[in-house]
Amino acid sequence: MPPKIDAAFAEKVLVRFIRDGLGKAGFAKAVLGLSGGLDSAVCAALAARAIGPGNVLGLIMPYGTAFPEEVRDAAGLARRLGIRSETIDIAPQIDAYFARRPEASRLRRGNKMARERMSILYDRSAAEGALVLGTSNKTELLIGYTTLHGDMACAINPVGDLYKTQVRAMAARLGIPAAIRRKAPTAGLWPGQTDEGEIGLPYEELDEILHARVEGRKTRKEIVAAGHRPAAVDLVLRRIKASEFKRHLPPVAKLSPRSVGHDFLYPYDWGR
Amino acid sequence: MNVAIAQVAPKLGEVEANVGLHLEVLEKARKKRAGLVVFPELSLTGYGLKDLAEEVALDPARDPRFRRVAAATRGLSAVVGFVEESPAERGLFYNAAALVADGRLVHVHRKVFLPTNGMFEEAKFFAPGRDLRAFEAPFGRVGLLICRDFLHYGASYVHHASGADMIVCVSAAPGRGVEGGDAFATSRMWELMGEAVSFFSTAFVVYANRAGSEDGATFAGGSFVYAPGGRLVARAPYVEPDLLVCPVDLGAVREARRTWLFKRDERPEAVWRSLERIVRAAED
Repeated sequence: MPPKIDAAFAEKVLVRFIRDGLGKAGFAKAVLGLSGGLDSAVCAALAARAIGPGNVLGLIMPYGTAFPEEVRDAAGLARRLGIRSETIDIAPQIDAYFARRPEASRLRRGNKMARERMSILYDRSAAEGALVLGTSNKTELLIGYTTLHGDMACAINPVGDLYKTQVRAMAARLGIPAAIRRKAPTAGLWPGQTDEGEIGLPYEELDEILHARVEGRKTRKEIVAAGHRPAAVDLVLRRIKASEFKRHLPPVAKLSPRSVGHDFLYPYDWGR
Repeated sequence: MNVAIAQVAPKLGEVEANVGLHLEVLEKARKKRAGLVVFPELSLTGYGLKDLAEEVALDPARDPRFRRVAAATRGLSAVVGFVEESPAERGLFYNAAALVADGRLVHVHRKVFLPTNGMFEEAKFFAPGRDLRAFEAPFGRVGLLICRDFLHYGASYVHHASGADMIVCVSAAPGRGVEGGDAFATSRMWELMGEAVSFFSTAFVVYANRAGSEDGATFAGGSFVYAPGGRLVARAPYVEPDLLVCPVDLGAVREARRTWLFKRDERPEAVWRSLERIVRAAED
């Protein structure tokens, strides 16, 4: 069984989280990247409900003309939600950089694009007086299917505790168009890439294994005994371990009795 | 008597701002003829304080900010949450709640059970309280508990054995679990205990939880009052801030104790002897 969710109640909590999170920090506006995919669509819909569509700016940041359908779906979503949107082609700066590094792998190029988008989001958030909303879901955070300092970078993340299959349930609840809900999820690192193809597992199976491990605290043996393929379980457990570093701030070399990241411990919401 | 529960969202680490919030709510509750106003756990400071705990600690007998809140309780009672540092124990910080009545500090309870696992880290920053003591408030005999205290049913038992008419639990419980229904899954846990304790201790149970969010965690709200016999008197909305005001007739305690003789037939000496044996065995 994939992890269950009451989408109506989750919507209520997440809308309040966005409203409070921005308000407490002294902001009324949000920016986020719109990829044309499910996670950013759900995030944008929640933000539109939380702070009003006029206060949400969706940036569509394609690399040239490689993904015409994604651009079309993202723009259609923005229109439907009534949020502001803008399309920025990142090809000029990406191409300028890689012109002198033709040997770069497609992974390097994909990560560079993710970080370019991050850089634009942060610049535009400053110009707008807005905060950047994160769109990384729980599944990708747990297996590290994300670019550190790229798509992971944000001020607050409303969808980071929703598995991909739960994001789908939220999307249905929020009225996200079927075109976005039905297409194969992709990180958009290169044309034709799909998440499930690259990870090697369908999201349903992936989420069930993660749910058993994370919420259920089951061992490898117990998850296999529950009917999952040993190779799939090993793949997931290996990816969780290998990506732990992405879920932390980098370690600070401790020298003093009280150090940042060790024992200088203040809450994020200090004074809010 | 009317009981008011302030399901509020204090500012984290900002005592001065939270004093303002308390004065505002006390005024509103007074207008609604409340005899008792219950604020949530750490209502003067916010919950997830970490190293801020020592910076916002105060002595309720002397601190001018606490005295301003106490002064606003003329003609009524209030339960207020704060970090306590007393002159007798400098450098020790307690997660505490006080009942103040008519401007006077009546009783301070220090949280005994400090959750320190998973998302909770209270024992890193607070010293544990050592005592559970019911006391006389202007309206009846009260046992105070703070959040996790209430989930260890021995704590409510002590108040029952000592004759409490009302068990007041102040709480800052973050919600967890969104599998189904209009509340976090964890809200059920508090209601289950509230219903059971009010039934078997034939006392009122007043549970004041907070609203708002801190560091990504959303507080579950859902404050409630149960009357003796497990009867739900009122419940505040889940998650949303609220000021819940409901009538409480303490005569219901007598009524319930004539029907269900748990209090008359209670034998704390038998429990005590058994506990003593267990504690001695654990010390060997």
